[in-house]
Formats: sequence, C-alpha cells, structure tokens
Amino acid sequence: MNASLIVLELAVVVLGLVVLVQDWFTPAKDRRTLGYGAVLGVAVVLLYSFFAFDGTETLYAFGNAYVLDGLALWFKRFFLLAALLVLIMATEFSDSFESGQSEFFALTLFALAGMMFAASANDFMLLFVSLELITVTFYVLVSFLRRRVESLEAGVKYLILGALSSGFLVYGIALIFGSAGTMNFNELADKLANNAGLAHKQLLMAGVLLVLVGLGFKMAAVPFQIWAPDVYQGSPTPTTAFLSVGSKAAGVVLLMRLLGTAIPDLAFNLEKLLMAMAAGTILYGSLCAIPQRNLKRLLGYSSIASAGYLLLGFAVMNRAGSSAILYYLAGYLFTVLAAFTVIAVVVKEAGAEDISALGGLAQRSPLLATTLTLAMVSLAGIPPLAGFFGKFLLLKAVIAEGVRWHAYYWLFAVAVVGVLISLYYYFNVVKAIYWSKGATDMTPIPVSVPTRLALAVCIAGMLWLGINPDGALELAVEAVKSLKLA
Amino acid sequence: MNVGLEHYLTVSAMLFCLGLLGVILRRNVLVIYMSLELMLNAANLALVAFSRFNENLTGQMMVFFIITVAAAEVAVGLALIVALYRKRQSAHVEDLTSLKL
Repeated sequence: MNASLIVLELAVVVLGLVVLVQDWFTPAKDRRTLGYGAVLGVAVVLLYSFFAFDGTETLYAFGNAYVLDGLALWFKRFFLLAALLVLIMATEFSDSFESGQSEFFALTLFALAGMMFAASANDFMLLFVSLELITVTFYVLVSFLRRRVESLEAGVKYLILGALSSGFLVYGIALIFGSAGTMNFNELADKLANNAGLAHKQLLMAGVLLVLVGLGFKMAAVPFQIWAPDVYQGSPTPTTAFLSVGSKAAGVVLLMRLLGTAIPDLAFNLEKLLMAMAAGTILYGSLCAIPQRNLKRLLGYSSIASAGYLLLGFAVMNRAGSSAILYYLAGYLFTVLAAFTVIAVVVKEAGAEDISALGGLAQRSPLLATTLTLAMVSLAGIPPLAGFFGKFLLLKAVIAEGVRWHAYYWLFAVAVVGVLISLYYYFNVVKAIYWSKGATDMTPIPVSVPTRLALAVCIAGMLWLGINPDGALELAVEAVKSLKLA
Repeated sequence: MNVGLEHYLTVSAMLFCLGLLGVILRRNVLVIYMSLELMLNAANLALVAFSRFNENLTGQMMVFFIITVAAAEVAVGLALIVALYRKRQSAHVEDLTSLKL
C-alpha cells in the first residue's frame, strides 16, 4: 500500500477544512480574503503536482482501488486549474451570498477533491464514492442562493434526478459484482479476457448499461440531459461554471476508465449505442439552444452539445479518439470558464441574465466584450481558437473509422450539421455585444485585478491551444497510453 | 422451500421497479425521495445476496459505503426540500415551474 499517492487530494481536503475553520476568526467584511487564500492554496497544489509526480509509471494504492498514472495526473491538473479559475470567480461573486461565503469556497474544494479521486478510480467502490462526493456537494452549491426560488428549484431538480441516476448506478454496480465477483477494474478486465468465471455475461452487460446511465447523467448526454438547462440557469454562476467543466470531465474520465480499463473486451458491443447517444446529444443540444434568451440556459444547451462531441471520441473507441477528448476538454475548460466569468460580472452589474443584458458591452468594457467574443468563437469551432482544433481532432478520428464502417460517415455528417447550427446561436450572442440597439446603460463596468488575471489565463489558453496545438496534443497522447485501447 | 440467490434477486428487482414506478408516478417530492431510497436499498439487497452466495465480502463493504452516502444525501436532500417548501408552501412537482425557456 502506498498512501503517499493521495497527497494532492489530502492537500485539497485540508485546504477546505482550513477555510472553514479560518471562517471563525475572520470578520464578515474580510471573507473575500479566504477566497483568495483558497485560490492561492489550489495554485500551490497545482504547482506541487508537477514536482511530485511525472506520470510515467502506473502506481497503485489501497488494494489497487486507486491508480495514479498519466491519465489520472492529467485530469487532476485539469480539475485543479478549473477549480482555481472557478474560485476566483466565486470570490468575485461572493457578495451576492447573504451568508456562508466560506462554506461556498470549502464546498467547491470538497467537490474538487471528489473529482480528483474520480480521476484515479480503479474500482467500482471508489467510482461510486467519488461520484457521490461530487454530486452531494453540488446539491448544496446549486441551491446556495437559498432566498431565490429559482436556485432552490434547480437544487431540488438536481437532487431528484441525481439521486435517480445514482440509484441506477448502484444497481448496475451490484449486477456487475454479481456476475464478475469483483469490483476492481483490472481484475474485471482479466476475467473478461480469460472468460473464466463469467457465467452470466448478459447480467454483466445489463450492469454496464446501468452504470452508463449514472455516467451519462454526469456528462449531461441524451437521454439523461433533462436536468442540465434548468440547473445551469438556476444555480449561482460559479457553480454553473464548475458544473459544466468539472462535473462533466469527472463523468468523462470515469467513462474512459470503464471502457478502457474495466471492460475493453466488451466495449465494442457498446459502439452503436455510443454512436446513437453522440448523434442524439449533438442534435438535441444544438437545436434546443436556438430559441434560448437566457445566457446561462443557452450555455446549458451548448454544454449538452459539447457532451455529444465528447461522446464522438468514445464512439470510435481508440487512442486517437481518447486523446482528442482530452484536447477538446482542455480547450473547453478555458473557453467555458472565460464565458462564465464574463457572464458573472455582467449579471452582477445588470441584474438580469437575458442576452439583451450584453447590449453595449463593447463600449462598457472592451476587455469583457473581447473575451466573451473569443469564447463564443471558440465554442463555435472557428479557427484559430482552441475549440476549433478540439472539434477537428474528434471529427478526424470519426472520419478515420469510416473506412471500417460506413455509419461513421453519417455520424460525421450529424456532427457537422450540429456545428453549423451552433454558429447561429453563438453569433447571436456576439451580435448582442456589438450591434444591439437600445442599450440605455452605458456606464463602464469595473473589472477587478484577479478577474483580469483569470480572463488573461483563459484567453492565453484558448489562443495557445488553437495556434500551437502540438505540445498539448503530445501531452494528451501521452496521457491516454495507459488505456487498453487499439 | 430452499431460499436461493434467485429469490433474493427477484425481491431486489421488484423493490427497484417499485421505487422507479414511485419516482415516475408520484407527484409529491417527499414521496419521490422515499422511492429513490427504496431503489438504493434494492441495490443493497442484491449486493448482500451476491456477497453471501459468491462468498465474497466486497459486496458487503460496498453496502456500508452506500448506506453512509445515502444518509448524507438524505440530510442534504431533506434540508433542500424543506427550504423549497418554506418558499413555495407546496411540495408538489407541478409547482416547480419557475425555470423555463
């Protein structure tokens, strides 16, 4: 056993507890400093992860339930960076909470710990516990504005559907355990490869499908996407941002482990299902986003469409697809967090979340206008930004599979249609920033220094991933080497 | 009669389906939440039965984790439902309509 491997997670949990305790000694008007302290702490942990581990070898702890390899490390750094930017946003946003600012920071950190454990899950038990740690903390984070009925309603909807999906997940795990007699991913893969002791393959398959329900819910993939728009709209903006980046990526990494480590020999049976889910998710997200007027709801549908693009990489079931998923996620992190940071500032100024609140933003704050425009262009997948290259890699992986089976050409066509539709609604946002008439309030919007820094990081990330993709792609290719895929 | 694994699994599947039906058909948020707990307990029963008949204790361990997590979930969930009830004076799903297009 090698408990020193979980040092990053432990550091994050301790940081969360320190924030909670320090809250006692901090007067109400200085609570913001706790937020900046949390940001600093996460930054230190992120830096430390580069010195402590290099991810070239696969290490196990806790009876093989916990794995630390290149993939786990990639995702841990991803989650740390996401939480860093979200905490900056949350500190800016914390004035809108009547109370419990420090609890918000602490809960964000606990959710982060859950995501980091999820990145290392190599056992259905750790998969379940880390997923629930994320979900239960998010129940609170979603309904944090407890005087606003929208926030509470979003919380209850997330609660009911989240608990339903964990019910399916747990029953699926029970069936898998019953047919395979093990919870460990490596042992399960061995048993599948040798075909020993697997009398009930149907039972195992049913279990895998039920687990897929739980993970599909986290990713907001069709048909488990119903919650996403409502919850995105009702939650406080930092929660929405963390939900759309962190929670989705946790579902992605767990699905990757499940397909790539636990059931590589069975994964091909899921090919058609994943293709159908990908096509359905892309079309649903893109088509339903068209009539939306609420910014956060619009991004909710856009996040459903993104889940569809991520599923493309799972449908092709090979290394190229998996590395494309990682690349897309990296671009998605910078893009979405840039968009939500701008939205958080604008909504605080305007008090409304409607697209028309962006009117005159180009005059009121050129920095915010530029950032949001870049984010929309990147989400739409226009070169030379991060979103373009991510989508390009995913579509390339799909086209390459077309030689094997023609249905992949149709999947490609559906994805391209989705991209074309999305151009329309992303451009609508850009139009509202620069060419909206009747914007009455023209007072400049002040942007604080930490927010400026966060925006600069996001813009740099978007441009770097878009213009110079080689380095980041190499990292992604390196990270997926631990998966047992073709 | 000899009670075997299949009997336990049948009861567990029935409990799961009853829970699912409750979630789909009932209109009161609290009753829906109770049905969700029923689904989790159906999984617990299946895990314990598999554990007993396969002579492998991992399933029992999993049940402890599920019970603990379910307790945490209930604590948060009931608090949320009560907060919503205070605001809305209703616990019916038809009244959850403030988030729309």
